[in-house]
Amino acid sequence: MSNVKIKSKNLNVYYGDKQALFDVNLDLNEKEVTALIGPSGCGKSTFIRCINRMNDVIDICKVTGNIEMDGLNINDKDLDVVSLRERVGMVFQKPNPFPKSIYDNISYGPKIHGKGETKSELDQIVENSLKKSALWEEVKDRLDEPGTSLSGGQQQRLCIARAISVNPEVILMDEPCSALDPIATAKIEELIDELKKTYTIVIVTHSMAQAVRVSQKTGFFHLGKLIEVGKTEKIFKNPDNKMTQDYITGRFG
Amino acid sequence: MTKEERLKKRHRAEKRFRFYGLTSIFVALLFVVILVQNIFSKGSSAFKKTVITTEIFFDQELLEIQNGASQEEIMGADFYDIMIENLIKAYPAKDRDEEDELLKLFSGDAEIEIKKAFLNDNSLIGKTITLDLTASDDIDQLHKGNYPRDLPEERRRISDFQLVIYDYFVENKMISKNFNNYFFNNGDSRDPELAGIGGALVGSFYSILICLLLAFPVAVLASIYLEEFAPKNKITDFIEININNLAAVPSIVYGLLALQILLATIQLPRSTPLVAGITLALMTLPRIIIPCRASLKAVPPSIREGALAVGASKFQSVFHHVVPLALPGTLSGTIIGLAQALGETAPLILIGMVAFVVDIPSSPVDPSSSLPVQVYLWSESAERGFVEKTSATIMMLLSFLIVMNFIAVYLRQKFEKRWN
Repeated sequence: MSNVKIKSKNLNVYYGDKQALFDVNLDLNEKEVTALIGPSGCGKSTFIRCINRMNDVIDICKVTGNIEMDGLNINDKDLDVVSLRERVGMVFQKPNPFPKSIYDNISYGPKIHGKGETKSELDQIVENSLKKSALWEEVKDRLDEPGTSLSGGQQQRLCIARAISVNPEVILMDEPCSALDPIATAKIEELIDELKKTYTIVIVTHSMAQAVRVSQKTGFFHLGKLIEVGKTEKIFKNPDNKMTQDYITGRFG
Repeated sequence: MTKEERLKKRHRAEKRFRFYGLTSIFVALLFVVILVQNIFSKGSSAFKKTVITTEIFFDQELLEIQNGASQEEIMGADFYDIMIENLIKAYPAKDRDEEDELLKLFSGDAEIEIKKAFLNDNSLIGKTITLDLTASDDIDQLHKGNYPRDLPEERRRISDFQLVIYDYFVENKMISKNFNNYFFNNGDSRDPELAGIGGALVGSFYSILICLLLAFPVAVLASIYLEEFAPKNKITDFIEININNLAAVPSIVYGLLALQILLATIQLPRSTPLVAGITLALMTLPRIIIPCRASLKAVPPSIREGALAVGASKFQSVFHHVVPLALPGTLSGTIIGLAQALGETAPLILIGMVAFVVDIPSSPVDPSSSLPVQVYLWSESAERGFVEKTSATIMMLLSFLIVMNFIAVYLRQKFEKRWN
């Protein structure tokens, strides 16, 4: 049994008057991939955005309840989100590389956190990050080209490399393959498999098949509630809840 | 209605619309052509001035200085007699009256032009040189063909005898057209042949510079704060509405504001580029804030999130990523705002820039004119020389505006990132 890395207890999220999450209790295990599935608008993304406090950017968003990472209270008002986000990286639905060079895309994070004091240290970080995200071979000769000139799949791997560059403990992925073609998706999934050796990964996905392929643990959300959570195998083969059963067999969603 | 009929009707409607569109574009272009043609035909002659080639003999007896005199001595010396003695030789005049008429064909600056020649070479005493002396406005306009000579004499500014002299000059090839350096170098003058936009150019330059220095940083910082940091609530909504309102306030109102506050209360020097610059900055501020905010808004939120997600602070995400991306739009908005300020007349009239200023301002606190106000001033003058100068000044003003707008468009097209 793996260690629990992130623990949420009675987590509630409100957007203005509308409640988006209801008493979510979910444990995420260290160095494991947890997949979050569920129909659109069910709160999966809202949940992972609580983990790196990305909901802070939405003025009307209010989070109550408890969410901890290694005993650190993430929801603490006095917590420095900058150092939190250094430990919890994020990859978004649509690849969003900075309109700068490939090199600058990756070196930006380490630079602002004061990692990589010298040029050679930075070079090393860039190379390692790109290698870890399986992009090095494709871009090593054109690091000064703009990140936006890459293909969609490459851009997404660049974004993963950018997340890795600050050496986080957790990587959040919000439907990272929804804008990609099947080949690019396969590459990202392979990558996730590799990355879970080092990082705790949470992935939101609309593809049941993807959840089965990449995750060890799956949580099913519906209308802001966590309906069922368990080992991926169990959720997809023999779920306890009727709703989970209906969703994974495609009866609604 | 059958299917074919409906289809035909649709095609007809489309054709009609194309026709309307083309017609309106054609009409608009026609007006532009008429305007430009009108300005050019009236103004292009102002870039040349008529000169009368005259022999000047520097007679020691008429001068109180010697060869090798210092600059100061020359400046203080009187060249009036030298001028008179030489100019009356330009045409074999029979008596004093004829000489007087002859002298009127030269500009009021003839003495200064002769003095300048001596300043360039202070060993001219005892020598004769040929000099291109600026002709008076009347001869200038006559020579450029702007002045009809077939009017009866009492309705002409030029007498019959002066026409005879003019014809004599033409016959002896003593009259020609040179580049009009006075138009660019001189300040305003009562004599059209000597009036120039030098003062107005410098005044406009100082005004726009001050306007830029004041408005740009304030506008950019205000836009960044409002767009990126300010909470979205009723107060910021109210500010936003008022910025939009201020951008639509008639410029003359800013003139009144400046008149009351800057001139009456703070007592800044009147008619100066300093006050003009502050007034224009007030007017331009909201006009820069609006495009600045629009270009900040155009940066997709995913860039901000990308930066925040790797642990950038709000400040870092804004200043490392959003602002550089919004910069081209910000700069082009600023340039267009400044171009508007450059063409602004009404507020400047209220703060006294409409004064008659001969000297070219050497600092922003010297009384000065500005290009659009110079246009306004000269357009009120009756002399034909000012008619062409008005149009020529408009040409200068328009070319500045076109250049500025071109730079703005170029910046936007070249550097602005497009998001799909």
